[in-house]
Amino acid sequence: MNQEASINFSEDEKDILQEIMNIAFGNATADLAEVVDIYVMLSVPNIQVIGIGELPFYLKDTIKDDGESSIVEQKFWGSFKGSGLLVFPSGSGKDLLAFLDDRADYHHEGTAAATLEKGGLLEIGNILIGACVGKVSELLSTFVTYSPPQVLQGKSSDYNYLIEHFDPMQTAIVMKTIFTFKEKDINGFLLILTNHESIDWLRKALHEFMGSYE
Amino acid sequence: MINTILIVDDSPVARRMLKTCIPKDKGYEIFEAGNGQEGFEKYKELHPDIVFMDLTMPVMDGYQATAKIKEFDKDAIVIVTTADIQPKSIASVMELGAFTLLKKPAKTESIQEAISKVEIKMKKLQEK
Repeated sequence: MNQEASINFSEDEKDILQEIMNIAFGNATADLAEVVDIYVMLSVPNIQVIGIGELPFYLKDTIKDDGESSIVEQKFWGSFKGSGLLVFPSGSGKDLLAFLDDRADYHHEGTAAATLEKGGLLEIGNILIGACVGKVSELLSTFVTYSPPQVLQGKSSDYNYLIEHFDPMQTAIVMKTIFTFKEKDINGFLLILTNHESIDWLRKALHEFMGSYE
Repeated sequence: MINTILIVDDSPVARRMLKTCIPKDKGYEIFEAGNGQEGFEKYKELHPDIVFMDLTMPVMDGYQATAKIKEFDKDAIVIVTTADIQPKSIASVMELGAFTLLKKPAKTESIQEAISKVEIKMKKLQEK
């Protein structure tokens, strides 16, 4: 069920949120660049309001990958509450990790390689999601706490497992940025999801943010 | 003397934020463009004294637009305003000949300081 109408998030509010996401993701990539010598190209962020029940279809359509994606999820709590998802379509996660750490062979099967891969993805996820959500929180004058990031396992063709802890009848604001690691032509997505509980606060915070410019 | 300013950014919110940071008592005429291509076209038409240029934009990004403007007018003053503050991004725009790079979100002090630096530069050029 699409509850976009009930949320009544205006185009102006979406524009403000898009600019805030743009700033936040720029901040996140700069943080990553401090840790590793990599240049990240960014897309213009996209903001959508969709029913949580539609989220698996949205992700399937966005990721367009029938293989096994690498997904890092980190939840955050506070007035701004939701989940950050860092998604690498199949193979991209391993390619990125191999690029970042050329001593390790992430393409080999086995427990050691899987542990290395998981650790590397968690670290990248922690930096990008944490810096992005942290900057949004800073700009909107709030603070959040984070759960530890986790690598999610699941078939890419079925993203229902991502919404198990959400009420499918509720609505989510999905903030998506596509990024490309230029040197390796590796693409991924950063999605920040927030749901009903944060929307009233978010709307008010967006107006206060713009109010400081008037 | 600065008379005209062009703001190139795909985000109407970012353009609005930037406009509020520009001093209102100076009588600057402010124009806007929603992407790099439109920005380049407006530059050719209006010859603004300062261009505030975003980097991440659809149609034509700020890197390409800055390069095109500098190719068209080597003396063009392009101030990059961006959220992308990776060292390689900063190095790239400075190599393209940007006057300076300012981190988003726009702040009144940094915008006014940049405009003052442009004024000083223009004054020095006029005195020569």
